[in-house]
Amino acid sequence: MKILRYTIAIAGALAALTTANVRADELVIWSRTNGPAEDKALKQIFSEFEAANPGVTIKMETRSVDEHKSALRIAAASKAGPDLYYMWAGLGLGGEFVKAGMSAPVDEYYAKYKWNERLRPLADAYTTLYPPNRHGVPYQLNGEAIYYNKELFKKAGIAQPPQSYDELVAAAAKLKQAGIPAITFGGSVNWHVMRLMDVLLETKCGAKAHDALIAMTVKWSETTCATDAFNEFHKWTSEYTLKPFMSYDQTQSRKLFEANRAAMMLEGDWMANQLRTETKTPQEFGVFAFPTGTDRLYGFGVNFYINPNGKKDLAAKFLDYFVSDKVQQENLGAFGPLGVNKNVAPKNPDVFDKAWFGLFDQYKASFVNGDQGFPLDVTTEYWRIINAVATDTMESGKAAAALQAFIDKRG
Amino acid sequence: MVVVPSDTIVLPRRSWRDGLTSAQAQGWILLAPALAIYAGFALYPMIEVFVLSFQKWNGLSPAREFVGFANYIFIFRDDPVFWMALGNTVIWTALAIVIPPILGFLLALALNQALPGRNALRAVFYLPVVIAPIAVATMWKWMYDPFFGLFSTLLTDIGFQSFIPDWLGNRRIALYSIFAGYVWQHAGFSMVLFLAGLQGVSDSLVEAARMDGASRFQVLRYVILPALRTTTTVVVVLSLIQSLRAFDIVYGMTLGGPAQSTQMLALWAFTQSMQIHDFGRGAAVAVVLLLMTIAVIIPYLLWRARNDKAQGRSA
Amino acid sequence: MSAATAPFRQMGSDRIDPLLVVLWIVLIVLALIWIAPAVFIVSTSLKSTQDVMGGGAFAPPTKVYWQNYASAWERGRFSTTFLNSVIVTFVKVPIGLAFSAMAAYALSRIKLPYGKGFLALFVFGTMLPFQVMLAPLFSVVNGIGAINTFIGLWLPYIAFGVPYQVFILHGFFKEVPEELSEAAIVDGASHFTIFRQVFLPISLPVLAALFILDFVATWNEFAMALVILLNNRNWTLPLALMGFQGEFGSDYGPLNAAIVTTVVPAVVVYLIFQRYFVGGLTAGAVKG
Repeated sequence: MKILRYTIAIAGALAALTTANVRADELVIWSRTNGPAEDKALKQIFSEFEAANPGVTIKMETRSVDEHKSALRIAAASKAGPDLYYMWAGLGLGGEFVKAGMSAPVDEYYAKYKWNERLRPLADAYTTLYPPNRHGVPYQLNGEAIYYNKELFKKAGIAQPPQSYDELVAAAAKLKQAGIPAITFGGSVNWHVMRLMDVLLETKCGAKAHDALIAMTVKWSETTCATDAFNEFHKWTSEYTLKPFMSYDQTQSRKLFEANRAAMMLEGDWMANQLRTETKTPQEFGVFAFPTGTDRLYGFGVNFYINPNGKKDLAAKFLDYFVSDKVQQENLGAFGPLGVNKNVAPKNPDVFDKAWFGLFDQYKASFVNGDQGFPLDVTTEYWRIINAVATDTMESGKAAAALQAFIDKRG
Repeated sequence: MVVVPSDTIVLPRRSWRDGLTSAQAQGWILLAPALAIYAGFALYPMIEVFVLSFQKWNGLSPAREFVGFANYIFIFRDDPVFWMALGNTVIWTALAIVIPPILGFLLALALNQALPGRNALRAVFYLPVVIAPIAVATMWKWMYDPFFGLFSTLLTDIGFQSFIPDWLGNRRIALYSIFAGYVWQHAGFSMVLFLAGLQGVSDSLVEAARMDGASRFQVLRYVILPALRTTTTVVVVLSLIQSLRAFDIVYGMTLGGPAQSTQMLALWAFTQSMQIHDFGRGAAVAVVLLLMTIAVIIPYLLWRARNDKAQGRSA
Repeated sequence: MSAATAPFRQMGSDRIDPLLVVLWIVLIVLALIWIAPAVFIVSTSLKSTQDVMGGGAFAPPTKVYWQNYASAWERGRFSTTFLNSVIVTFVKVPIGLAFSAMAAYALSRIKLPYGKGFLALFVFGTMLPFQVMLAPLFSVVNGIGAINTFIGLWLPYIAFGVPYQVFILHGFFKEVPEELSEAAIVDGASHFTIFRQVFLPISLPVLAALFILDFVATWNEFAMALVILLNNRNWTLPLALMGFQGEFGSDYGPLNAAIVTTVVPAVVVYLIFQRYFVGGLTAGAVKG
């Protein structure tokens, strides 16, 4: 086995040669693939920061979402990795990295730079999810809500966007009567149909029970509202959803929505951009929050986390520049519809900007997507059960018990 | 056909100036690279699968905790997907050792006749074998597109619009939809092996049987089939091994969905390890599949060794 | 049972056999069905989105839409991934084959302790499913710091390619008559020389067959690359195709152009070297 060890050593040495040397004044940032506007804005911000801090260079490496997560996991094990990295804030994602010691507490930097005086409360809330310390600095704030087709709503005789869940169900029934599928989802990737379950859980259980269920501190099987939510979910997927939806993805679903094949979509603020470019009449679409009846917006935050093994002070200095009024105002819209800084305002807002600004101003708190709250194995099971209910493989009445059975046994 | 004695050449050790000149040392040098890489990156991972299946590990942290049979207990008793994956693997394997080989056998029989353009026909049936399985998955996924795909469009054209199933989204048919793509890809493989086997069927025997007034069926039953016994075993075993490995095509078409209803052991082992980051449970699933495979490999290799010996190693 | 007879005639008969004519027609129809997916893919790859959504499945494109290829090539970054696939394949295949030939020579012509055992070990490997070991492969490659590198991919590729090649070449080398190498031995040539100057030249056809077979297998490999190449700059074509489907799956024209781009090299190689390919495949499976 000596030969084997030598071979491995040689291969390892060769591999090491391909890794670039780390420069002392280089700030390395890892992120998932940027959108075009975001990419342009970041390059501008980097060069400004480099100009203001001679000798400093910023290097950003981007990967697709899954690779980004894998690369960070590998980095966590090898103590290598970036100085700063992009990560969704939920306990199942950012929380896991905090738990794994991949994030440096940022309380001292918050005190030093007084960040909370300029951060939007909704965004700031995502850095206090990990007591006892603060972790991460807000990078991006996203909301998810219902996009609807005004023309189809009119055709079905729906005068205005539903204000309550009952009104929403009534609207869906009217649409169905008019022969219009009320809502469309792409089912081939698990997390789009999941959104429907997430908001129904919030609707049926309210904020407190919703969070306890996601945190698994109460039993799903003993919480009746969870079963109510699954029953409602099944009603939606069996009666009000464009079919067949299990075998195509969300992009295909969006194309069908744009082609007036369904009246609603539960999507993120980012879809506004696609509607602007992919349709001739974006003003024919509107946005309203899913009427959960709680005072929370469905959505999630993204933080930049500081690697405790990296250049922490430099990273904090950059973040201070990034969340400054100047940078956030100049690059408004590049990182989600609005920045994380509360002192900035849009200049020429269109219909979508107005809608999203309204929502972000209206809500002071949010609840995150299920896959950002659960650990990975539970997420996988949550998806399986949701899809099983959606495809009539599992009775909705038994879903909560099935999920709880898995949670109890996971050990 | 050359039959040579099995003695290997042994060089006399003529020089001791350099150890490298001894025949054995030279042999080791020639053998070492292949053996080292094979041992390090094929055999060692195989052993590692067994070791991991008794540990709890997230794939990265330095600590690996020994947990005994906990992973096995979990997958056998508590995992809601494992039995589904095992069942699908068994169904898939049962179909895969019957349908592509039979199709391949019939094609081989037909394409062994004196027919114009039979080489081109053979090439057509064999072509899918060289296409990347992941590309086959992508192709078929597109053909199954519920709105614009080949099958839906064809059904619409002949007026069967309302009968269009959700090929990959309906849990009752999704597995078989994927399998159709698998048959398309693999029938040619069996065909080629059977064609090679048919070369070994003695012409004169067939002719003699026919002279004696044997019907086509009788020739097939009493002359051709017996001569193809070895080939058939080989085809079935290779089909079995291939079917246990099915990964790319499921990954590409459904990723195991909807609701894990097309999940199979190889993919579930991957999902547990690489996506849920539970290497222990993933390894336990892998061990089940590995043992199933080894249970086929070992008897088969022994059978082949015996067979080769019986045939006097004639090539 | 090779048919050297004229078409549509049974062996030893000069009458046209009507059943064979029927069989032939059935085969033609079946072949058309078999090739239909390929035709559908190629034709879609040349259609604009409107054509795809509007026309029938096999309707020819109203206007040939070559832009799909440019679009797929650019958005899927196929110039990078195509080059990656070329590098991965053209380094792995020759090196792997060389190692296999060396090992096969050593095991067939030199008396080594446990030689038979090593051979059995390799033969065992011919059927070992690497799909089962993706996770440990990841951790082994990660252990030598070679995740995201081609070295990290070449090593397991070679490891799983070697057994079949050793098995085939061992069978071939064993049958080489002793006289061929005796003269060289008398001249005092080393095994290295005999291997290079006697065995390699005479085994060229086998090597060619194995080369083609391995080329296609390596070009098409997906699962191992999936766990080892995490960075899309290192992706090979199968990974890029999968990524393209995930990102642009509803742009049907470019998607099908991407499929064609991925598949064509292997198909071309197969069509050119068909004879070798089938030979290499059947050599190990059916010794008849």
